[in-house]
Amino acid sequence: MSPEADHWTERVRQTLRRYEPGLLRQVAGNLCRPRNQWPVDELIERSIGILTNPAVLDRRLKELEPASRRLLAMIAHSRQNVWRIGSLVELTMATGAGDGLAAVMSLLDAGLLYPGLPDLDGARKTARLKSFEQWLTVGETGSTWAFAHPVVCARALGGDLGLPDCPGASGPPSGVKGQAIHEADGLEWPLRLSALWQQVSTTSLRQTQQGDFFKRDLERLRGDPLLAAVPGDGPSAVPDPGMLAAALAVRIGLLKQLDGELKAGGFPEAWYKGLPAALLGLWSALPHLDTWNTDAGHQPGGAPGNPFPSAYLLCLLLLGKLLEQGWADPEQVAAWVRSNHPYWKSAATCENSDVDPPSAALARFLTGLAYSLRMVQAIKSETGWLIRLSPHGRWLLGMGDMGDAPPATPQFAQTLLVQPNLEILAYRQGLTPDLIVKLSQFAAWKTLGAACTLQLQPESVYRALEAGESFETIVQVLEGRGMKATPTAVLEALRTWSNKRDRIQVYPSASLMEFASAGDLQEALSRGLPAVRLTDRLAVVANEEDIDFRHFRMAGTRDYCLPPEPCVTVEADGVTLNIDQLRSDLLLETELQRFAESVPHSGSNGKLQYRLTPSSLAAARQAGTSLENLAIWYMQRCGQEVPPAVYLLLAGADAPSPRLERHMVLSVATPVLADGLLQWPETRRLIHARLGPTALSVAEDNVEPLRERLRGLGIEAATTSPQR
Amino acid sequence: MEKSRIPVKFHRRVCLVQTEDGVLAEELLANRKIATDIVGRLADRVLLVRPGRVDTVVQELQKMGHTPQVVT
Repeated sequence: MSPEADHWTERVRQTLRRYEPGLLRQVAGNLCRPRNQWPVDELIERSIGILTNPAVLDRRLKELEPASRRLLAMIAHSRQNVWRIGSLVELTMATGAGDGLAAVMSLLDAGLLYPGLPDLDGARKTARLKSFEQWLTVGETGSTWAFAHPVVCARALGGDLGLPDCPGASGPPSGVKGQAIHEADGLEWPLRLSALWQQVSTTSLRQTQQGDFFKRDLERLRGDPLLAAVPGDGPSAVPDPGMLAAALAVRIGLLKQLDGELKAGGFPEAWYKGLPAALLGLWSALPHLDTWNTDAGHQPGGAPGNPFPSAYLLCLLLLGKLLEQGWADPEQVAAWVRSNHPYWKSAATCENSDVDPPSAALARFLTGLAYSLRMVQAIKSETGWLIRLSPHGRWLLGMGDMGDAPPATPQFAQTLLVQPNLEILAYRQGLTPDLIVKLSQFAAWKTLGAACTLQLQPESVYRALEAGESFETIVQVLEGRGMKATPTAVLEALRTWSNKRDRIQVYPSASLMEFASAGDLQEALSRGLPAVRLTDRLAVVANEEDIDFRHFRMAGTRDYCLPPEPCVTVEADGVTLNIDQLRSDLLLETELQRFAESVPHSGSNGKLQYRLTPSSLAAARQAGTSLENLAIWYMQRCGQEVPPAVYLLLAGADAPSPRLERHMVLSVATPVLADGLLQWPETRRLIHARLGPTALSVAEDNVEPLRERLRGLGIEAATTSPQR
Repeated sequence: MEKSRIPVKFHRRVCLVQTEDGVLAEELLANRKIATDIVGRLADRVLLVRPGRVDTVVQELQKMGHTPQVVT
């Protein structure tokens, strides 16, 4: 299965896991008919196994009621396997079924259609779906959706759709030989979307809480000469083309919603695969355009229900009923859909609206949007425009005998004309979505027409360079697709802009390899290390995954997105710091230089040493380093508090001034005697402090009174001279 | 004979700015806003950026009129 099919297979698995066992057994019973009572997991896997078994799938499709089978076939023709339930009901009823919901329920029961279940969180995560009726009742009106597996859709193609012959069908109009058949090149919307992408790359679009645009951005989208221009080719125009471009861009991921703004995203992968794939992406986006339709144009937050997705599909499917050389009147096709579509048939809608607007809107879809998507060909007759499906339209709708191969389009490799004034003329017949993407990245769209113009600008070239392009790749596009050699002035300008950018390179998350010697670095490079040499021992690798670690022995690893590691020990003197070079990092040296000096000769154990000195700490204070900063640093790097010696050197001057005083030391024979002197009130007040177990400090003025008290106790204190 | 493994110290997820020449590195260091996020100069033209500040540095470089190439 293709990656896309695998994605949907997994989606089916996740959905089936959220069914109650009873519901799962009922659905699996219809789909894979188990003969035994299998466990739930086994049932899910067996149900999924049916998706890879065409023979069983075909049998199950054949067993369906005609209305259900037709609905599945219409989903398949839309090339969009996710549809709102409301649209599915409309499709079924428009093709003659009385109860549109019954066909949907039948497909859900048969395990060929799956409910779109919202992601749950918290306590609701384990909630299971008991029945499809419960799901439809709880879901928000108009937003409940379901999906079919692409493999099931592919098997459903080709059956009867329950549609009549195409209304307004006729043979070729008289004099058709002289009349040109009009067919768009399909590039109109890729071009407009690219122009929009460029504009949003510069200034994002702001959205209100309701998801609409602010007035300034609305005016910008509606007034922009590129986005709002009416296409020159084609029977009719679409309303609000700028708003359609915005809605399509969001749907295909070209614009991304982020923090209440629409920002430029990446170009869809399909655009690199050719025009048919790009058109398929746009066509399959139409059923999900909620804020735009061919009646009112931009219509945010309108009434519940959106009849246009199903009506668009019905219009094109009717065209598919035309005979090979047949043409149809778009107004009659639109009128049939309008009169058979349940939304417009309902009395409530018709009371307040004229008959004409929906028909006119659907005719405008066929001759405007479908035409510009290259799904429809047009020819002028005496009574007006006639239309039919184009080869691209038939392929997009999965019709005809072409299988999976899209119609071939003529290739014109040389289609660009680069002019010395930095303008690029792009002839449309040679443009492809892939080339449009490349041009959009390095040149600004100026006009869109039969020949489009772009302007090379520093900003547009920088944008391309930031996206990974280079001077060489830009020139390669201009030379490879150019009709003439690129003018020297243009090459010089491109080179200047590219060189300016190459002046600074930023590695946001590089891997830096620190070798013990220059020889080791050289040896690593010779073994194929994809690194850029920074110094004789340092080399940088942009992506860690590119390193072949078998060549290296890790002497240490440090992750700079993690907090700093302790890698410093403090000597007993409190001011000498030993660096553990295996655990240290590149930041440490810078940190140390702020408040310490490198010791010229390393310590006895070979470790690098730094020392804090009065001058180094004075400089640190001058540069704004505080005791709090140092405390944090010591805790992170040394795993301990600031040593007293450092406190003395850094903050000693801030403490109250110390005093030098004369004191006598009274030494007694035993600690008990010292305790007694400190306890007896008569002597306690004369003693300044206890210096040790048997040593007491006495202020010079108190020496004689203390001596008197001691005499009263029969103790004679002798005075001795200090020993030198 | 199997080659011996080369001892290396591995610094992961480092933010660096490499300039074309040393003069340009000096110019960047003279910018106060950038200088506060530069924590070291590993070589004449290689500056070490404070972890987590690379976006700010890139924005400031762009404000200065440079068009830095972000290498990933």
